[in-house]
Amino acid sequence: MSGKAVKINFKKKLNRDDGWAWLMLAPNVIGFLMFMLVPMAATFVLSFMQYDMLTPARFVGSDNYKTLIHDPIVWEVTWNTIVYTILTVPIGLCLSLLLAVALDNIRHFKRFFRGAYFLPSITSMVVVAIVWQWIYNPEYGIFNWVLSWFGIPAQKWLTSSATSLLSLAIVGIWKKLGYDMIIFLGGLQGISTSYYEAAQLDGASKVQIFLRITVPLLRPTIMFAFIMAMISSFQVFDQVSLMTKGGPGRSSSVLVHYLYQNAFQYFKMGYACAIAYLLFAIVLILTAINMRQEKRMREIY
Amino acid sequence: MKRNSFLTVLLIGSLSLGLLAGCGSAPSQDAGMRNQAGTEGADRARSDPGDIVELTFTGWEASPLETEAVEKGIKIFEEQNPDIKVSYTPGLSGAEYTAKLLSAASAGSLPDIMFMQSTDYRAFASKGILLDVTDRFSGEFSLDDFIDSSREIMDFDGKVYGVSSCSVMPIIYYNKDLFDAAGVDYPKSDPSNCWTMDAFREVAKKLTSDDVYGCYGFEVDGMWPALVNENNGHYYDPADKATPQFDTTENKEVFQAIMDIRSVDGSAPDATTLSNVGMTALQMFETGKIAMLCDGSWSLQELAATDLNIGMAPLPSFKKASSSGQAHLHCINAKTEHPEEAWKFVKFLSGEEYQTEMISTGLWMPNRKSWYTEDGLKIWYRKDVHGDDYMNMLRYFEDAQADERPFTLTTETTDAITEEMQLFFSGDKSLNDAMSSAQSRMMDAYRASIQ
Repeated sequence: MSGKAVKINFKKKLNRDDGWAWLMLAPNVIGFLMFMLVPMAATFVLSFMQYDMLTPARFVGSDNYKTLIHDPIVWEVTWNTIVYTILTVPIGLCLSLLLAVALDNIRHFKRFFRGAYFLPSITSMVVVAIVWQWIYNPEYGIFNWVLSWFGIPAQKWLTSSATSLLSLAIVGIWKKLGYDMIIFLGGLQGISTSYYEAAQLDGASKVQIFLRITVPLLRPTIMFAFIMAMISSFQVFDQVSLMTKGGPGRSSSVLVHYLYQNAFQYFKMGYACAIAYLLFAIVLILTAINMRQEKRMREIY
Repeated sequence: MKRNSFLTVLLIGSLSLGLLAGCGSAPSQDAGMRNQAGTEGADRARSDPGDIVELTFTGWEASPLETEAVEKGIKIFEEQNPDIKVSYTPGLSGAEYTAKLLSAASAGSLPDIMFMQSTDYRAFASKGILLDVTDRFSGEFSLDDFIDSSREIMDFDGKVYGVSSCSVMPIIYYNKDLFDAAGVDYPKSDPSNCWTMDAFREVAKKLTSDDVYGCYGFEVDGMWPALVNENNGHYYDPADKATPQFDTTENKEVFQAIMDIRSVDGSAPDATTLSNVGMTALQMFETGKIAMLCDGSWSLQELAATDLNIGMAPLPSFKKASSSGQAHLHCINAKTEHPEEAWKFVKFLSGEEYQTEMISTGLWMPNRKSWYTEDGLKIWYRKDVHGDDYMNMLRYFEDAQADERPFTLTTETTDAITEEMQLFFSGDKSLNDAMSSAQSRMMDAYRASIQ
């Protein structure tokens, strides 16, 4: 009797979905806890401590945040990060959107171009950095050579404080172009051709079709790409570290670069964690604003 | 059905057991290999693999020749000590090396013995991760035998946490052929009677032509401590060797003079020119594009190997003529399991066999006073490498002041100087602004580092 009851109970349990769901989700959930939530909490706790990773951490209250407010370098690198974002995100998204529409419309070599434009995205940043350092070379670089056709005088690009950040932004745009393009191409597949056919019958121009049909219907995709591009450009680090090391002076140093220096070169892990939360706050606020905008847009369409 | 699942369990079980066994057997296999290698290497090797101590050793590659010399030294050491094996890994350099050591230390995976950049030495020593070798050191060496520049860096509040490897310092190399072509007299290598900065600038102007720059190198951050010291200026207060004292008239005079060589005299290329043309300063010098090069003494190794007609001279003097030396230290991990063996190896690295190899090629300079005596010279001096100018400058090397960059608990202070002065040299900041903001950034970093 009791044996049968246990068996039924067991079977019942076996058939319940939530248990299985958790089991199947476990790798992801455990990964999220281990590599996201716990480090985030630990970073938060450490941002109130003085910690060098070698000697025991000491609680210092809000000292790190007070230092942060009065540290001119933090604001300089924050400003650089914002400038980098302003340079890369709008231009990058516009270019990749145009590219996606163009690729969607061409008849031949579609796959080839798609692959060609996507190539930089899967190329290692180290390789990209080396190639672009040669492109930017003021004496032999191809960039100055091309500009000379238009009568633009040779620039020092990476080695001048006026152009170093711009140079990094151009690399950033170039590298991310393909990725955003693929996302937009995916979005374009979702737009029904009937809209276009109707518009063509009504005699709408190509520009009108693009502005009145493609862009509005692609808005959710654009929004997604925009938020992701914003977040990733606020976290830019690799090309800075590889190409300019933040120089000359601090002219191309960004938040994550300064954070890295504090954590791993200046023995100030606690302070680095505070900078990480400054970055977190900026990204959080920007994303919140974006989400609200998106909601409002959904109401329109 | 049941049978099947039973089989599955059995299969999985045996597989995982196999994996475990595989993991378990790896180390013993490794030990066997090591043992074999040991017996092959030397007849004296013991049969019991447990007796061989393996030490890990990390450094960076300043030049392929240096790594070669290190490997050679290790081989000699292992022959002398068949019960010790040293595995060397050269790695990153500069700030990346600091980051690597720091993360290795926090993860508890620091090597037993390591190169330590002199600028990182105090930072790491103050965190207690370097073995205090004061007693071992005084049993073996005398601190007073080390030249001032090495001693002052090693001696951290009366304690020693690592042994200075050697000494290196900036000097002037000049191309005799270009001097002859321009009809200019060679500079005197006697430091008590050497050129002043003004005289140097005149010479540089005369040497400058359409395709030759008179001089290069003063805008490189490693050359500044020596020049600043010559004008009685400092990076840190000489009284406590810790408080930043950068924004001074003495220092300003020096930085202005460096700037004027390029901006007023036009005899030096822009600091960015080299990276633009894709050549190192040394290559520019070797190809006759630069007549006088201010560079580290280590460059002698490469220059001596060429057949160029080269002379050496002291740095142009300000209020006095001097250079400033420093070099990496050999340090031991405080948590090493084999402190005795590690110390034995560090001792070997300061010994004659290893040192002679490095010094007689011109890469390093000796850091022991006894090596600058007539008897000492016999060990390492090579006329074909070092030449007569070097001989005239021996006292100059021996009496060099300690490079002040190591007198800090954080490289944030050094970075502040480099970044701010870069902005001054690129014309983005006035001298006064750059100096005062360097000073205030140094003070902030200093205060945070002593908390």
